[in-house]
Order: sequence, then C-alpha cells, then structure tokens
Amino acid sequence: MQGKAHIYINGTACISPQRTFDGFALNDPVNYTSNVLTCVTPDFKAYLPAAQLRRLGRMLRVGLTTSIICLRNSGVTAPDGIITATGYGFLEDTERFLREIIERKERQLTPTHFMQGTYNALAGIVGLSLHCTGYNNTYVSKGYALGSALDDAIIQIRDAAELNLLVGAYDEAVSVQYKSVARDGHFKKEQIDSLKLFEHQTQGSLQGEGAAFFLLSGIQTAQTICRLTGHYGLFQPSADELKNELESFLSSHNTSLAELDLWIAGFSGDVDRDQNLRALAEGTLSSIPQARFKHLTGEYCTADGFALWLGANIVKSQSVPASIMTPPSRTPGRIKKVLIVNHYLDRNYNFFLLDRPKS
Amino acid sequence: MSKSGRVFITGYGIITSIGKNAEENLQSLVDQRHGYGDIDILKTAHSHDLRCCEIKITDEELRRLSGGTGSGLTRTTLLGLTALREAVHHAGLSAQDLTKSGLLSSTTTGGIREFEHDFFNILDLERHGDFEQFADTAIPGDHSERLASQVGIHNYVATLSTACSSAANAIMQGAALIRSGRLECALCGGSEALSKFTINGFNALMILDNEHCRPFDATRRGLNLGEGAAYLVLESEARVERLKKKPLAVLAGAGNANDAYHPTASSPDGTGALKAMRLALSHGGVDAADVNYVNAHGTATENNDLSEGTGLKRLFADNLPPFNSTKPYTGHTLAAAGSIEAVYSILALQHGMVWPSLNFNTPIPELGIRPVTKLERNMSIRNVLSNSFGFGGNTSSLLISAV
Amino acid sequence: MPQTLDELKQELKQELIKQLNLDEVLPPDFNENTPLFGEGLGLDSIDSLELVVLLDRNYGIKLKDPKEGRQIFQSIRTMAEYIHANRPQA
Repeated sequence: MQGKAHIYINGTACISPQRTFDGFALNDPVNYTSNVLTCVTPDFKAYLPAAQLRRLGRMLRVGLTTSIICLRNSGVTAPDGIITATGYGFLEDTERFLREIIERKERQLTPTHFMQGTYNALAGIVGLSLHCTGYNNTYVSKGYALGSALDDAIIQIRDAAELNLLVGAYDEAVSVQYKSVARDGHFKKEQIDSLKLFEHQTQGSLQGEGAAFFLLSGIQTAQTICRLTGHYGLFQPSADELKNELESFLSSHNTSLAELDLWIAGFSGDVDRDQNLRALAEGTLSSIPQARFKHLTGEYCTADGFALWLGANIVKSQSVPASIMTPPSRTPGRIKKVLIVNHYLDRNYNFFLLDRPKS
Repeated sequence: MSKSGRVFITGYGIITSIGKNAEENLQSLVDQRHGYGDIDILKTAHSHDLRCCEIKITDEELRRLSGGTGSGLTRTTLLGLTALREAVHHAGLSAQDLTKSGLLSSTTTGGIREFEHDFFNILDLERHGDFEQFADTAIPGDHSERLASQVGIHNYVATLSTACSSAANAIMQGAALIRSGRLECALCGGSEALSKFTINGFNALMILDNEHCRPFDATRRGLNLGEGAAYLVLESEARVERLKKKPLAVLAGAGNANDAYHPTASSPDGTGALKAMRLALSHGGVDAADVNYVNAHGTATENNDLSEGTGLKRLFADNLPPFNSTKPYTGHTLAAAGSIEAVYSILALQHGMVWPSLNFNTPIPELGIRPVTKLERNMSIRNVLSNSFGFGGNTSSLLISAV
Repeated sequence: MPQTLDELKQELKQELIKQLNLDEVLPPDFNENTPLFGEGLGLDSIDSLELVVLLDRNYGIKLKDPKEGRQIFQSIRTMAEYIHANRPQA
C-alpha cells in the first residue's frame, strides 16, 4: 500500500482574468462584458529573457511566468519533477498551423506553431528552462486534467516525502475553442456583466482562462501555505452519488461537516449544469459559508486550478476576499479547513480538502 | 521491488498497419511484412511525395470492426476502441469488472483529422450538417471519455499527452494507480490516426524520410509516420490471485525522465534515454546484464538513433543485448507507439522471438552498434526494455518481465 | 532592375526580424556579419527551419537537406550572397 506522507502546498502562483499574479486580495475585481475573460498579465520581461520570450506564444508566456512565480514563492529552485494539466492546450497555435496548411495547400510550412501547439509544450519548456531532467508528464483529461496530475504527484510524494513536484494547470480562451463548443451551449447566448454571472439564471457560462502552479512536497517548510489533505475525482455522478461520495470523502479524512470553515463552489453560471451542485449547496453544505469564483475567471477545463490557488491562499492568510463570498455577510472568522467542490460541465467533479498545518 | 505487490499484464489489444489484432501483428512480424506504402484513405497533397504506414481500413469499416455506436467517434477513437475491445476480451473482463476499472489513454492528435477536414464548416456557426459531431472532438481528452463510455468504464478516466512517449506514460501511471490502491484494474495505452496536421508538422521539421525508414543505419534520413492503437490490461497481484488468473507478463518497472536539451531534439549524449532506462531497471530491481531484448524507440531520425544508441551503449557498455526498432513495420505511431511496442515486447517474451530491424545495413559510425537483422527464435527472454521518447524531451522506458 | 546585393541584405534583415520575432533581441551593433547562430544572435535549429522556408517562399530556393543551411545562414551577408547566386531568374 501507499506510504503515509502528508502533501503540502509549499508554493503557488496564478495568472487569471483578475490581477492575481502578485496577490490574492481580489479587490476591485475586473468586469468583462463580452462573455470572454482573458488574463491580466504582468510585464513578462520581468520574468523571462527576451531571447526566450520571442519564441513563445501568449499562453506559453503566461504558463512559464506562472511557474517561475510559484518557484520563487516556494524557495525551491530545482524541482524533482514537472507535471502539467490542460483541457484544450494551445489551440490557437494549432489553429494557426491548420490555417497555414489549408491556405498554402500543404507546402512551405514552418514548424513553430505546430510545435507550440503540442499539449506538453509547457512542461517541456519549463523543464528546459530549469534544466530539470526529472519526471515530466502532461495530463489532458478535460475537466479532470488537474485532478489526474494531482493524483500522479500525490502518489509519488506519498512514497517519497522529500520530493518537490511542480504541478501546473492552464487553459486559453480563444475564438477557436469558443466556436468548437458553442453548438453544445457551453457559453451564454446573451452578453452579460461577468461580475453579475450568478444573477442570470440562464444556460451557459462565460469563457475564461488562466494558469495556476503549485509546488507540492511531503515536507513542511517555512514557505508552506497549506496542507492538501485530500483530493477525489468523480465522473458524471447523480445528485445522490455526489452527496454520498462527498460524505465518504470527508469521513475518510476524519472531517465532519461542522469542521468546515468555508467551501469554495465551482458554480459555472449555467442554470442546468449547476443543478447537482446546487442540490449539494442547498442540502449537505447549506450551513457552511460558501464562496464562488467563476464570475472572476469564467469557465475552462482547469478552473479548479484557480480554486485551489484561492483556497490555499485563504488558509495561509486567514482572510477571505469579499468578492468571492455568497452572500458577503457569511465570511467566516478563523479558517482551518476549506473544502472545494468544482465541476466542469456537470461531468467532472473534483473535491479538494485543504487544512491549516500545525506550525 | 514494490512493497505493494506486482502489477501484472493480463491482456492486450492492438491494431496497426500490419494487423488488426495481436495474432495478425505477430504473423506479420514473423513474416517480416511491413505496412509502409501509399497514402490512400487520407486525402493529402503529400500522397505524391510521401508514404506512410496507413491502416487500410476505412472509418466505416472501423465502426463495424470496433462495434462503435453513436456519433462523434473520430478515427482515433475507433482505432482505440478496436484495440480496447480486444484487450478487454483477452483479459476476460466482464461488464461488472469494467465499471470498477480505470482507463488511461493517450493521443497527440485526437480528432484533429476530422477537425482539419471540416475546418471552415466547424468554425462557421451558421453552418449545420453531419460535421457538427466533430466540432469538439479535436482535443485528446475527448477520445478517452468516448472510449470509456463505449466499453462501460466509469471509475477512473484520464488522458495523457506527452508526444511520442504518451502511451508508455499511460501504462506507467496505470501501474502507479494500482500500486497505490486506487485501482485494481487499469486499461492503459494510446491511439493515433494519421492526419494532414501531423504529416505537415513533421514535414516542416524536416524529419520525414520519403523512403522506407532505416533505424540505426548510417544512412538513415528520418521517420515514416504510421497510425494505430494498443492497450494493456494491468491488474494488481491481489486481484490476479483472488480470481486465479494466469497473467501474461509483469510490468516490472517504468522510468520517466526529461532530456531538458531542446524542444524537439534529443541530447547527443543520450542523457534522458539513459536516465529513463536506469530508472525502469532500478524500479524493477533488474540489472542491465539481465535484459534480454530492447525494443528501441528507433525512429530513424539522425538525432534520435544517435542519442538513443549512445544511451544504450552507456547503459550496457560491452554487453548490449539484442535490440531492434519495429518502426519500419508500423511506422511511427506517435502517442500509440509506447503501447504498440509494449505489446510487441510481450509477444517477444511469450514466443521467445526477436524480429529483425528492417532496412539496416551499416552501423552508425560514432556507435558501431548493430540491431538484430534476422528473425531470432528460441530465445530465452525474461526481461525486455521498451523505449519511447518524445518532443519536449520526454523520455520513458518500460521494463516488462516474465512471470 | 534586379535587386542589388545591398538591397537584398536590407530586405533580409527586415524579413528575419519579422519572421523570427527579433525586434527586442537585436544587439545594437548588429550588422551583416554578426553570426546568426551560436554566439551573436543565438538562433537555434527551429529558427534554421524557419529560414529554410523563408528561402523557399520568398526566393524560390528549395534546400533538400536542412544541414546545408548551416553554411548559408551564418550571417545576413552569407545568406544574401547565396540567394543572389542561386535565386531562379525572374
């Protein structure tokens, strides 16, 4: 059976449609009116040399910069492995290469966009930048991509606590992705203010994007942000299965509902697809202070990365940004345990349980 | 050796340009029959100047062969489904077994073939038609969910994409999930259909050979693309004992490392290759001296074969075991290569055979190593290393051992 | 009037900057003899493939073997001289 090491989040970073690259207060949240939320980015030149920057498309810059900020926060310069997760990868590069293929009738093509469009491009570039010859993997399990990556990291750390693994998740809000899923009603037909997402009880969500990175280890350090006590993924559960699995999950981690100080809910704003989560919110979790985040980020396969970043920082700072509480008056005081329940299209559900470690 | 029991291989399924199941693949290997030829089914401007190892089965025929139902089944999914069903049958898994099993599949292109075919239609939301079933099947994560739905797997579904090492990593992670106790049974592998996207991408990188590829040969000029799918059924030792199954082989070890040298080229000193192979061996508690056969990645690019060959020499010194590349038979099947070649490694073990590495004449001058060049039979094969290396510096190696 | 070698060099410099995103990477003393690969500009093998395509698209010259590029792409000057000598006549 598995070893028993705890899992600590010792570093984290996030670039998102809110200003999150240098803090998590989420004051003055940005409102979007086009139903598409795109990243608020730092000056990349502060993180990446020009020679490297020229090669990289927008999302690769975002991803690579996020990994650098995460490592700086963790104090680890040489992780033992790199695992990335994405749903749609770098679809814009793929689209550009496809257009060239068609327009040039398969002649005189350059390889840059083909290469940058590969799903493991970010993991490769991070590995290259760090000269890391250790473990390197990429998961693309749509709404379970980050979950799969965490499963991998957790198994390794449970067996070897001294490992430092860099885990990152990202997705891009681009037109080609928007169009591929539009017919399936992923996004709202009517244009709304993103910050008012939950006032519109209609179908569809908003298109979002972001990158979040985590430095995971079995060893607690001075940089430790929180403990990742538990994680579990479910595929297309019914409302009953969701309830039962959540109760099993909590009890398997010796946690009662009463001990939860906050839960972060991955409501997407899609009135139909949010049904099962709503049942949970109105049932099992009704008495727990609830936070939401997709009005700040939009919806994408790896949005649980934002939630994990947010939850970890809440535990560390013992404060909850006002912009995420629903309703605002329920902001909890002392925060020891945070639960995250996220779903993607009512297909992939993920539970995360975060704990304040003993200092 | 792992404290938590061994991970057994109890079944496999495969489809390539040299056979639509394991038996046909084996016969082709024994007969030295390869799948390299004209590109007939995929419509590409390169059908005049390039040849591939295309599977001569249309999508409609694949639907019948695989028993796929419903819409949105890309060629990658159909190939995967064909191989997956064979694996399920081979391992004797019931519908009940499947609901508790996990699926870890992999691909680099997913449904890009269908996406490129109807590119303008899909991106014009005013247009409607049959093509709409493929609007959102391009990404790799789609095919696994479809496969899981078609065969009835719900417990655990994950997709990997690490270029040409993908399926090897899928097998490795399936084994890890079993050792950790999360799963007792995992179906692991990959699938890849030919596409204009891939043909043109590799052509732009100038690593395709417009003749039949020559792995490890001094005159090698590049790879040939292929398509196919393969899956292994992995089961925990506890489950195999409980059900009194007869396992076929042991997934004894696996190593994953990164070359960290260049986005698309391997380091000349074979650092990543060596590290991955060493990890697989130490993971399995097997010495290099006890390896009886290496199924090399052997794509026949100048860069890979030199790098991998260097890694092999550093690992084995003067005791290089028999090795080959099976890519002249199947072409480079990208993500699926790791699982297709794992199946070939198991077949080698089961039948005591090593097939010749086709088109080899002259060793690479810097290395002086020679792969197997004629069919070897009656070999005692107890430990096989199977290598898969990909863009992004991803190097993976699997150690498959006799029970 | 056919293009002069100097005009070609200027054109190539602009093309390189555009195709390889070199705007912010050009050293101030960059000139026609600055090594493009290794020391100097530090281009790599992927850039080399881009230049092979540039030769084809813009000047109608097809290189069969990417290794030929090593000599040709040493500097703006060597590129211009090669193109000047090998471009198909209009």
